Amino acid sequence: MNGVRFPAKRAVARGAFAGILVLFLLAAGCIGNEGSAAASRHIAVTGSTTVLPIAESEREAFEAKFSDADIKISGGGSSVGIKAVGEGTADIGMSSRDLKPEEVALYPDIVRHEIARDAIILIVNQQNPVDHLTLDQIRGIFNGTYANWNQVGGSDLPIVVVGRDSASGTREYFWESVMKKGNFTSRQEEFNSNGGIQQKVSRTPGAIGYVGLGYTSGVKALHLQVDGTSVEPTLETIRDGRYPLSRPLFLLTKGQPGGLAKEYIDFILSDEGQEIVARAEYIPLPS
Amino acid sequence: MNRRLVDRLIGEVLFAVALFAIAAVFFIIAFLLRDGYQIFMDAGVWNFIGGVQWNPAGEYPSFGAFPLIVGTILVMALAMVIAVPLSIGSAIYIAEIAAPGTRAVIKPAVELLAGIPSVVYGFFGLILLTDWIRIAFGQPSGSSWLAGSILLAIMSLPTITSVAEDAISAVPREFGEGSLALGASHWQTIRNVIVPGAFSGISAAIILGMGRAIGETMAVLMVTGNAAIIPEPLTNIFSPIRTLTGTLGIEMGEVAFGSLHYHALFGIAVILLFITLSVNGAAMLIIRRIQGTQGLQKPGPSGIQPGGFRRMRNLMNGIALKWPFTLLAGAGTAFLPLLLAPPVLVARLIDGITSICFVHQPLKWTFHPRSAQKWAFCLISLSVLIVLTILGVILSGIVVNGAGAISWEFLTQSPRNLGREGGIFPAIVGTLYLVGGALAIALPVGIATALYLIEYTADNALTRGIRTAVDLLNGMPSIVFGLFGFAFLVLFLNFGVSLIAGQITLGLMILPTIIRTTEEALRSIPASIREGSYAVGATKWQTVWHAVLPPAMPGIMTGAILSIGRAAGETAPIMFTAAVFSSRFLPSSLSEPVMALPYHLFILTTNVPGATDQQFGTALVLLMLVLSIYLAAILVRWRYQWAKVF
Repeated sequence: MNGVRFPAKRAVARGAFAGILVLFLLAAGCIGNEGSAAASRHIAVTGSTTVLPIAESEREAFEAKFSDADIKISGGGSSVGIKAVGEGTADIGMSSRDLKPEEVALYPDIVRHEIARDAIILIVNQQNPVDHLTLDQIRGIFNGTYANWNQVGGSDLPIVVVGRDSASGTREYFWESVMKKGNFTSRQEEFNSNGGIQQKVSRTPGAIGYVGLGYTSGVKALHLQVDGTSVEPTLETIRDGRYPLSRPLFLLTKGQPGGLAKEYIDFILSDEGQEIVARAEYIPLPS
Repeated sequence: MNRRLVDRLIGEVLFAVALFAIAAVFFIIAFLLRDGYQIFMDAGVWNFIGGVQWNPAGEYPSFGAFPLIVGTILVMALAMVIAVPLSIGSAIYIAEIAAPGTRAVIKPAVELLAGIPSVVYGFFGLILLTDWIRIAFGQPSGSSWLAGSILLAIMSLPTITSVAEDAISAVPREFGEGSLALGASHWQTIRNVIVPGAFSGISAAIILGMGRAIGETMAVLMVTGNAAIIPEPLTNIFSPIRTLTGTLGIEMGEVAFGSLHYHALFGIAVILLFITLSVNGAAMLIIRRIQGTQGLQKPGPSGIQPGGFRRMRNLMNGIALKWPFTLLAGAGTAFLPLLLAPPVLVARLIDGITSICFVHQPLKWTFHPRSAQKWAFCLISLSVLIVLTILGVILSGIVVNGAGAISWEFLTQSPRNLGREGGIFPAIVGTLYLVGGALAIALPVGIATALYLIEYTADNALTRGIRTAVDLLNGMPSIVFGLFGFAFLVLFLNFGVSLIAGQITLGLMILPTIIRTTEEALRSIPASIREGSYAVGATKWQTVWHAVLPPAMPGIMTGAILSIGRAAGETAPIMFTAAVFSSRFLPSSLSEPVMALPYHLFILTTNVPGATDQQFGTALVLLMLVLSIYLAAILVRWRYQWAKVF
């Protein structure tokens, strides 16, 4: 352990060490000095990762129009967005769910702005012969009544139920509108993102899951059997309400917005902004 | 006069800084309890721990953590079943069988496995392992207990191998030579003399591996399917399963603040903390017993004396120093009396199993010693081969698939279209910022603490308390740091999701490594150097600054490099405190969030469809970054013949 040490090597080591240290300190310290674009107005937007893709696309278009605008967008989840806007650490919060009673009590002055809708699409593996299901069948699958695809008109294949984590706004909506607040089967595998579910379903022949409209590549989107007719989930059917599963997405502000925050929200609600919503594969508001 | 004043002042400052570790531990535990106690009150302690249904979002929410606790233990147990034979075999091979040249290659290779970030393992598991399990075993779904255990086994391999190899190497040469002189074969010597001589160290190695397996979040979360059920039957390794860490990882971001669910997650963190601290406490107890009734000894460099048991004890102290869990000693008991019972049990259990296997020999060899040796060496070599194959498969898989994605554009541009196009430049810089900040916080505090412990005070109740705190910090799962950072820095102090919150969280996480490695480096400086300095009239601080610190630098540097590697690869501590999904610009202040490579990889893998190239590219960049840092540490050690610090 205590081998002979050579002073020269020691000096080199010390030098290298000091060098590394200085480098990292510089990296940590120089942050304050850069990017101080003069006379720019900026707002911070944070919250739901479901809403984030919309906010991000809108920002690109908005900033192209107003060169002095600087909108910083981060994720973290609906709760982070609600908390941040309630506490005033962000100017705008993003949420894929309505405020919970606890949150309304904490932050009574939060104002919701519905900016788009998100559909809930049932997806299965592309090899799965099943094309459409009724809401009752879907409920039966997710509460564990059906365990094999041959019980709902498919081939003999065990059903792998895939859902979102229990804190997810998407799951809450699905639970209220499809499950009628009944329990999910305890064998449901849980992922914390749309992409996770899509990936799982695309790789697992017997899997079924639910995702937003933007996550249907590589998997088969099921048609819903409503009142005897099969409804394909498309922008049109979702927008006119024939496809029954969609929910609102919100931006939140503390009190009525002003300044840049107001301009940004107004831009999203404008015709141009709603076109961007559609391009990002979300459902624009009815005009 | 002036000199002396400065000297005293510096001593006082170091003392104050050294108390930081204790403060940090109390603070973290207090904060988790503050947010977690309500669930124990509302649901009842027994209903929370023993309840079999985890359904926080049902019409009648139920918070039963029992399936999660069972899941955590099952995943860990199967991981150990896979990892222990492989790593003990590798340890024996490296310590006893390998030629020096082979040893010089295999040892760092195994240690490199430790450097692969857990999100890379998770990515690998999600892409390849779960599919392989589904197809190979004809299961409907590959996300399973088995997948989680295989990943955890691979992740705990390097820890167990390194510590076990230390223990085996520390068995005095005379023991083996005596056995060979009596006519025993090499294998008989290993089996009957060397391994039994090291078995306490091996037990400790296994328990440390268990600690790592229990605390792991990201890899497990990505492959186990996260269904909160107890497998039915209990041996159904293809059942999906959910761990405590996984629950925190997937539910924390979206949970409503102040809701019962929120408190339940902190309750989960408290249970997790309790389990990991128990397991690490067990390792401490075992190693402490090796030291016998001597209690704590501050081994002086001149302490090694020739001959028999005395020498063995000193050598064992040497191992103990590398794993200062050992120094937990009596203070640990006083600190959290609750923690005592489980570690004793675990320690007994592991000890029992190890001694039955190696000492009591339930199965007598019926082979000729020579063929027994052939078979044994065959199996041992096989275990090394398996370990190296795993390393090869993971590395080559990522390099082959990732190399295509790497381009100048990928390295220097911002991501577009949610990371499907453009590059990862902000993530690379963000990672450097995070690591740099963490180091700027942890390095001064860590070095000052170590200086105080080694140079400024003798062994007493206070230093034992500080060391206990350092060990407790070291044993905490990274997701617990993440949760603390989230509850305290992001919410309580209202920093928001920001660079500074991430830097402080990571700084706390790497602090124990820096303290431990610095302590070790300082201890290795012979007393004669200090005495020489005093003899020419230097003060304490002058001695420390001019005589002790310079030769200790390579050791401190190794610690710092390892910390950089760990901080750069961790996802769990930053996912709620500092990291963002996508950002076009670099942060312009400490209060802004950043992109980071591990989080970017996690999001690309689990959230963004159609970004396969970018996934592999990001994995490769992250892997290269972290592995080159680890390689640097190994080179530094090799160059200075520095003792292992993994």
